[in-house]
Amino acid sequence: MGVALRARSLELSYPASGRSSSPVLDIPKLDVASGEAVGFTGPSGAGKTSLLHVLAGLTRAQRGSIEWGGLDIADLAEGRRDAWRRVTVGFVFQDFHLLPELSLLDNVVLPATFAHLRVPSVLRRRARELLARVGFERLEQRTSTLSRGEMQRVAVARAMLYSPPIVVADEPTASLDADSAGAVTRLLLECCAEAGSTLLVVSHDRCLLGRLDRSLLLAGGRLAPSRATATVG
Amino acid sequence: MMNPLPVVRAELRRARASTIAAITLIAIAVGLGVAVTAQERALRVGSARAADSFDIVVGARGSQTQLVLSSIYLQPGVLELVSGKVVDRLMAEPGVTWAAPLAFGDSYRGASVVGTTAAFLTRAGARRLDQGREFAARNEAVVGADVALALGARFTPEHGAPAGDAERDEARHEGVEYRVVGVLPSTGTPWDRAVLVPIEAVWRLHARPTGHAHGIEAIGPPWETGASGASAVVVKAASVADAYRLRGRYRGVDSLAVFPAEVLVELYGTLGDARDLLAIVALLTQGLVVAAVMLAVLAGQAQHRRLFGVLRALGASRAYIFAAVWLHATCIIAAGGLVGLALGWQAAAIVAHVVRVRTGLVLLAAVSAPEIRLVAWLVLAGAAAATLPAWRAHRQPVSSLLRG
Repeated sequence: MGVALRARSLELSYPASGRSSSPVLDIPKLDVASGEAVGFTGPSGAGKTSLLHVLAGLTRAQRGSIEWGGLDIADLAEGRRDAWRRVTVGFVFQDFHLLPELSLLDNVVLPATFAHLRVPSVLRRRARELLARVGFERLEQRTSTLSRGEMQRVAVARAMLYSPPIVVADEPTASLDADSAGAVTRLLLECCAEAGSTLLVVSHDRCLLGRLDRSLLLAGGRLAPSRATATVG
Repeated sequence: MMNPLPVVRAELRRARASTIAAITLIAIAVGLGVAVTAQERALRVGSARAADSFDIVVGARGSQTQLVLSSIYLQPGVLELVSGKVVDRLMAEPGVTWAAPLAFGDSYRGASVVGTTAAFLTRAGARRLDQGREFAARNEAVVGADVALALGARFTPEHGAPAGDAERDEARHEGVEYRVVGVLPSTGTPWDRAVLVPIEAVWRLHARPTGHAHGIEAIGPPWETGASGASAVVVKAASVADAYRLRGRYRGVDSLAVFPAEVLVELYGTLGDARDLLAIVALLTQGLVVAAVMLAVLAGQAQHRRLFGVLRALGASRAYIFAAVWLHATCIIAAGGLVGLALGWQAAAIVAHVVRVRTGLVLLAAVSAPEIRLVAWLVLAGAAAATLPAWRAHRQPVSSLLRG
C-alpha cells in the first residue's frame, strides 16, 4: 500500500549559487494522499528534479520536514535513508539507467544486491513476474539488445521490485517515441495502481500528465496553486 | 550483507578491451619480475649442484673462473696444462680421499671426450654406474646419461672442443676407436653429455707419455714413469681442514687450486647485481603499470558518476559504491598478478630449457615463495591504492552524481 506525503516549510539552496540568489526550492506545504498519482511540470530550471530528489531523500533540504506515512525522512541519518529508499521508493529515470551488460533479470534484482549477498528467491520470483507483467519472456537476454521503449519497461519492473509504497519518475517518457511513451505510461500507472503506490512524476508529456490524479506547476522553486487535472473522473 | 559483484561484472564487461589491456600490462610487468628472480635462483641452485662433487679443482696458473667453467661446466676455453709432477704429487697427497686428473681437448659429435681415471667415474666408489661397468682398457669409454651412445657402441673421437668447426672431418683421430662399456647415472649437469675415457688413451693420442712402462697397456694410477700433464685435477679432501691446507699448498707458481664454491660465490655476486638491477626495473615497471591502471580507473569514473548516482538512488549505500569501485580495480590487479605469475614461470621454464640445450645444466625453474610474495605484495599495494578512487567515488553526494 502507498503512503501519504506531508511536507512542510521545505527550503533548499545550493551554497555555490551565491548568497543573494533565491533558494532552489521554497515550498511551504505539500500534501499527497496515499496511492495518489501526482505530476510536477514547469519550465526547465524550475526545481522539479530537485523537488523529486528532496522528497525521495536523495538530497537533504536545509529546512523543513518530509513525512512519509508519519516518518520524517529529513531526520534520518544517511545510512537509514539509503535503506528506507531501497525498499520504500521505486525510481524510474528518463534515461532508464539499466546496466546494459547484465541480463533483464539481473537488472531487475539489482537493488536486492545492495542488501543481500544472494538475492532471496522470493525477490527473484517477484522479478520474473514483473518482467512477464511488462511483457518479457527471455529474461536472461542482455539488456543492451533492447530498444529504448523496452528498456524503460524493464526499468519500471526494477522500480516495482519491492512493491514500493512510493514510486518516483523523472521524465519517464521524454526520450521515447509516442507509441513507446504510451505503453510505458500505461504500465507505470497500472503497476502503481496494482501495488497501491503513491506516484510522483516530473514530466512535460501531456498524455502522461493527463492520466494522473493531478498535476502541479512548479516555477522558480515555488508551487503554483494546485489544480486538479481536468480529465480525472 | 551486500554483493557488488553484479556491478563489477557489468563494469568489467563494459570496458572489456581496456580491462584486457590493463591485465596484460600488469601481467607482463609481473612476469618480468617473476622470471628474473625465479631464473636467477634456478641458475644458482643448478650451478651449485653441478659443483657439489668438486671440492677442489687444481689447474695451471691462470684464470680461476675459466678453470671452474671448463672443469665443472665443460665450457670450451683455453686451459694451460698443469704439469705431470703436480698430478703425481696430488695423487700421493695425504688428506686426499680421491683425486682424478681431467684431460680435455677431444670431442665426439658435440660431446666432450674427457680423459680421466676410474676413481672419477664412481667418485672412488661413492656412486654406481647406471649401466655396464667402469672402463678397464684404453679403448673403452663410459658415457654420461645424455650421450647418444649405447652400450657396445664404437666411435672415433675428433680433435678439438665440442664447439665444433668445419674442419671436423680432418681432425678425426683416425685409427682410434672406443667402445662404450658403461653409462653414468644422470646428474643434471653438463657432465651428462661427456664421454669419459682412460686418460692414458688421451695422452697417447696426443703423443705424450702414458705414465706406464712402454708396452704395458695398464690404465690408472700409479703412473710408474710419472704422469703427463692434465687440464685439471679434481680433488676430494678428507676433511675441511685438509681442503684448506691443499688449497693453500697448491696455489703457487706451478698450479692454482680453487674451491669452485668460492668462484661461484663471486659469479653469483655479479649475477645477483644483475638480478637486483633487473628486479628493481621490474618493480618500477609494476609500480608504473599499477599507477596507470589506477589513473584509468579514476578517469573512467567520470563516465561512472551517473551510474553511481543511479545506484545510490536505487538504495545502494556509500559502502556499496566504495566496494564496487575497489573490487573492480583490485580484480584487474589480482588477475594481472596471477597471469603474470604464470607468464613469468613459463618464461623462466623456457630460459631453463635453452640453458639445458646449450650447456646441459638442468635448471629447475619453479615459482616459489619469493615470487608469490612479490605478487602478493603487488596485489596488496594495488588493493591499497584502489581505496583512493573508491574513496573519491563514495563521498560524492547523490544529487551531484545524478546530474552527471
